[in-house]
Amino acid sequence: MLRRFRPRSLAARTSLLLIVGLGIIEAIGLAVHALDRIDFDRRMIQQESQNHVGMIYRSIVETQPQDREAELLALHPPATFHIALTPGPDPDMVEQAASDPLARLRMGHPPFAPPPFAHPSQNLPPLPPHMRPRQVLFSAPHGSPRRAVAFLLPDETRWLTIRYVLPSPNPFRSPTFPTAFALMTVAGGILIVWGVRRLVAPVGTLAAAAEALGRDVNAPPMSEDGPLEIARAAQAFNTMASRIRRFVTDRTLMLTAIGHDLRTPITRLKLRAEFVEDDELRGKFLADLDELESMVAATLAFGRDTSRREPMGRLDLTALLQTILDEAAETHPDQAEAIGFSTPPPAVAIAARPVALKRALNNLVQNAILYGGGARVTLQAPQPEHEGERLTTILIEDDGPGLPPEDLTRMFEPFVRAEASRNRETGGTGLGLAIARNIIWGLGGDIRLGNRTPHGLRATVTLVC
Amino acid sequence: MEPLPHILVVDDDREIRDLLARFLERNMFRVTTARDGRETRKAWQAGHYQIVVLDLMLPGETGLELARWLREQANVPIIMLTAMGDETDRIIGLEMGADDYLPKPFNPRELLARIRAILRRAGDGAAPRAGGPLSHSLHFSGWTLDATRRRLLNPDGTEVALTGGEYDLLSALLDRANRVLTRDMLFDLLRGRQAGPFDRAIDVAISRLRRKLEDNGRNAQLIKTVRGGGYVLASDVERR
Repeated sequence: MLRRFRPRSLAARTSLLLIVGLGIIEAIGLAVHALDRIDFDRRMIQQESQNHVGMIYRSIVETQPQDREAELLALHPPATFHIALTPGPDPDMVEQAASDPLARLRMGHPPFAPPPFAHPSQNLPPLPPHMRPRQVLFSAPHGSPRRAVAFLLPDETRWLTIRYVLPSPNPFRSPTFPTAFALMTVAGGILIVWGVRRLVAPVGTLAAAAEALGRDVNAPPMSEDGPLEIARAAQAFNTMASRIRRFVTDRTLMLTAIGHDLRTPITRLKLRAEFVEDDELRGKFLADLDELESMVAATLAFGRDTSRREPMGRLDLTALLQTILDEAAETHPDQAEAIGFSTPPPAVAIAARPVALKRALNNLVQNAILYGGGARVTLQAPQPEHEGERLTTILIEDDGPGLPPEDLTRMFEPFVRAEASRNRETGGTGLGLAIARNIIWGLGGDIRLGNRTPHGLRATVTLVC
Repeated sequence: MEPLPHILVVDDDREIRDLLARFLERNMFRVTTARDGRETRKAWQAGHYQIVVLDLMLPGETGLELARWLREQANVPIIMLTAMGDETDRIIGLEMGADDYLPKPFNPRELLARIRAILRRAGDGAAPRAGGPLSHSLHFSGWTLDATRRRLLNPDGTEVALTGGEYDLLSALLDRANRVLTRDMLFDLLRGRQAGPFDRAIDVAISRLRRKLEDNGRNAQLIKTVRGGGYVLASDVERR
């Protein structure tokens, strides 16, 4: 159940962990602070209440006895105070000084509880002797915020009873504290998210670099700065990338050299063939040489990867496919009926390398004609994809035998040819799909092969518009 | 009898040089060969040539330098033999003033066809043009035909692919803009390129070209059909 809500990214997980930790620490800190404040606040409240009591007593005592009822009404004590002049003390009052535990117990007080007033004389403001109360009684039921003090006035027989409720202590009375605390929490959270993202970013960079290397061996190296561990990982990655690059470069250099050197002898042979008098023999010579030439051309195209040197430009994909199909129909007039668009194509323009893309798509169409007896092309209108990229899809289908499922991805590797076409009859170098994939990947697109039902092969090319 | 056209073949490979000379001589040309820049200059002083077949990869002075030098001497057509499939070489070659190019290994008959086409054009009076006839671009009704890269750009600058036949056809129509070209003339201009039934091939290519030029009623008919079997490209053409 919880697993479902666990975030998937490393950054989110780490941030969540740290933020939860921060929350727990803050809660503990808050509790310690609150306990301390409560104690302090309680003392403050008591002090304040006692000051009030003193003030009330003084103002009553300083008034003439006959005016005291009126003075009582004129006083505006806080709402929690209740003042009365009574003929005798209320029954729940006890004498402070007589702290006889039994008497206290009788009154429902704990025997040795700390008194609400340390001593009457200390808590009353300094008064001349004739103003001092003749007797003081208290009530402070344990566990209750209710308090009462009764003074026997010095010049008459009435008691001044002041009852009040102690407000419960509040550790967060000051508004700045919660604000500061909230600010600190938010700042801490932001700092955590920012810091974690920064820390985790290199992992994403590494993944992106590995992906880029898979597509393009000549992808730029990773930057090797940052924290020690990340720098080391980047260094190791760059070393690996350069080894792969050297390996690929060596191989392609060799291929290119062979292809290059073969051009002169092929040219000579083609010229020599022109001097063969026998027409049939000459035709066969030239056909062989053409095949040889096309194999060398494919090897060179694969080895040099000239596609990456061609600049990008806007091109009309619809016209390009039409051109490829028209040219294919011209060179394969007997299969012309089976070469064309399956549905009227929409107008699509994309950014690409025109010569390279033509070569890639042409390879796919030629394969379909050679091994599948025809090529049906479907161009789909661009679909908006995530991250604002618009993708367009091209399907190239044939009705041939298709491929065994295990060959569908293997076919893109250089010099891999399907078992059925391994004999030289059908020609081909085993490079056509490798070249096509290199070019399409180089354009940020993708290519897949799949079988059709009941039979046939489908090449699906996705290109970025 | 008219004297045989004289061709200067420049290639550093002796076998290719000799075989090419024999092959061209058999096809009614007079051939002189040279193996590098020095021999080319010597041969240039000694004779008068209608066309030069020049290998781009030469020891010492490169084919490009030699092409530039030849251009300074006279407006002789040059066919460049370039490295196979190397787009950059081809474009540089054309920009340096080659009239045509062939990637090595080339088909000898293809070379023969190109030589004949160039000579015919030179005889036509349509060519020669200074600065290399192929290294320019033609602008018409917002469209651009970039002859160096053999590509067509629409008014937005988007490349619109053409088949070889379509390109040659458009090129021929643009060369003679606002003039009526009969099917026969067009076929003649494009000879060697098209296979299949002649008239039909031209008509099909024209209709494909129209579609690519978005030449439907709206676009005021760029390529007009002339009654009696001909076509005219009705637009002003600017060369740059």
